[in-house]
Amino acid sequence: MEALWQRLDLWLRAALPLASTLFMTLLGSGAWPIPYLGTVMPPLAFIALFYWSAHRPDLFSPSAAFGIGILNDLVGGGAMLGTSALLFTVAHQIIFQQRSVFAGRSFLMLWTGYCIAATVLMLLQWTMQGFLEWRFVPILPVLTQAVLGIVLFPLPCWILIRLQRFTASPS
Amino acid sequence: MPVRRSSSFRWYSSTDVLSWRGASRRLSPALFVGAAVFLMILSRVQPEAVSSMRASTVDVLTPLLDVLSRPAQAVRDVATSMRDIVLLRADNAKLREENAHMIEWQNAVAILEKENRELRALLNFKTEPRSSYISARVIADTGNAYNRGLIITAGKADGVSEGMAAMTGEGLIGRVIEVGEWSSRVWLISDLNSRIPVTIAETGDRAILAGDNTTQPKLLFLARGASIPEGAHIITSGHGGIFPPNLPIGTIKEISQGSYTVIPTADLGRVTYVRLVDFGLEGRALNRIESKLRAESKNK
Repeated sequence: MEALWQRLDLWLRAALPLASTLFMTLLGSGAWPIPYLGTVMPPLAFIALFYWSAHRPDLFSPSAAFGIGILNDLVGGGAMLGTSALLFTVAHQIIFQQRSVFAGRSFLMLWTGYCIAATVLMLLQWTMQGFLEWRFVPILPVLTQAVLGIVLFPLPCWILIRLQRFTASPS
Repeated sequence: MPVRRSSSFRWYSSTDVLSWRGASRRLSPALFVGAAVFLMILSRVQPEAVSSMRASTVDVLTPLLDVLSRPAQAVRDVATSMRDIVLLRADNAKLREENAHMIEWQNAVAILEKENRELRALLNFKTEPRSSYISARVIADTGNAYNRGLIITAGKADGVSEGMAAMTGEGLIGRVIEVGEWSSRVWLISDLNSRIPVTIAETGDRAILAGDNTTQPKLLFLARGASIPEGAHIITSGHGGIFPPNLPIGTIKEISQGSYTVIPTADLGRVTYVRLVDFGLEGRALNRIESKLRAESKNK
């Protein structure tokens, strides 16, 4: 019986990165009390994906990045299905390979890394969306979203750092 | 449980390279990239399949989105209550004045309604099918840099069908674009893909209201030389069977010579509840034809 509880505890701790990213993806699409916030909503899903890909890629696999991307596309509505999935999978792979730059380094390093990753990702998404739909939407809301995400990054990151303490230890 | 910290990950260790585990892990990102590209192609060639996939996913997530939207709803309610208390005296005086005005109107309307009924009977006029309404709560604002949309808590089970007009108390806000069993997605009139045939109430001129992802949609295809007064009212024309006629949308604002935008009567950023208008079978049939034509033209 104790072994079962132990396994359940371990499983829940291992599921924390994916569960928190899922939660942040849905939170990003939620009905907020601030008018028009949705149009410039920081990419909460990508903030979580960035953090876990850099810190716990053993608990956040490419399949998780792909799944979160699909969910983001499905709930988001307008974006062509697969766009976020493709970008999130590629981003996860690049962040994973560069994780030594972030692991054990200062928060400023992580923030700088996110700055670059989010800007590149959002510009790529805008370009892809433009070519696929053959219609380019104004870039200002995309940049506002990126800047807002960069400015507010410490807040969700602070929560994720606290959550990481509860995740299962690497094995 | 103590947390053991380690900087080493068993992800692509050198011993994994020749093993099946290592190979599968190396392969999986490429597989997922392939799957994402496949889905992108699928949403181009089979938009209906993707649309039903979206509706089913939102259906499953509806309880979660509903729970997440509750705190926002509570904050909004508190803010509204506080505003109401502050403006109680002023609102009361305004309502008394409006009420006196409305009573005058009520008498006028009763006479006009009777006259209208008699004239219609004389002309053997075919009346419009009666509209019915479905009310729903907004649980997600899916608007972003690329589109403007809402997810609401009513679906097929409540009688919602694709193409229904979505309104608030103030006016039209959009149309139902995807319908799940318990939830639906509404495209706002400000969405880049939204095109609505409209009439200028004061002059009778026709135009198309085109969303451009800003808060003020544009008026397109207005007759050349049409003289539109600033502040004129825009209503649905009912052409094409997309919407019932005479639904209020907003007022006109001229941005430059011959170029107009529309200020929606409803505040598109603060929609909490929507009312869906079902205007009979005829309209829905036309809607289906229209969405099919749109899908076909997109495929080409």
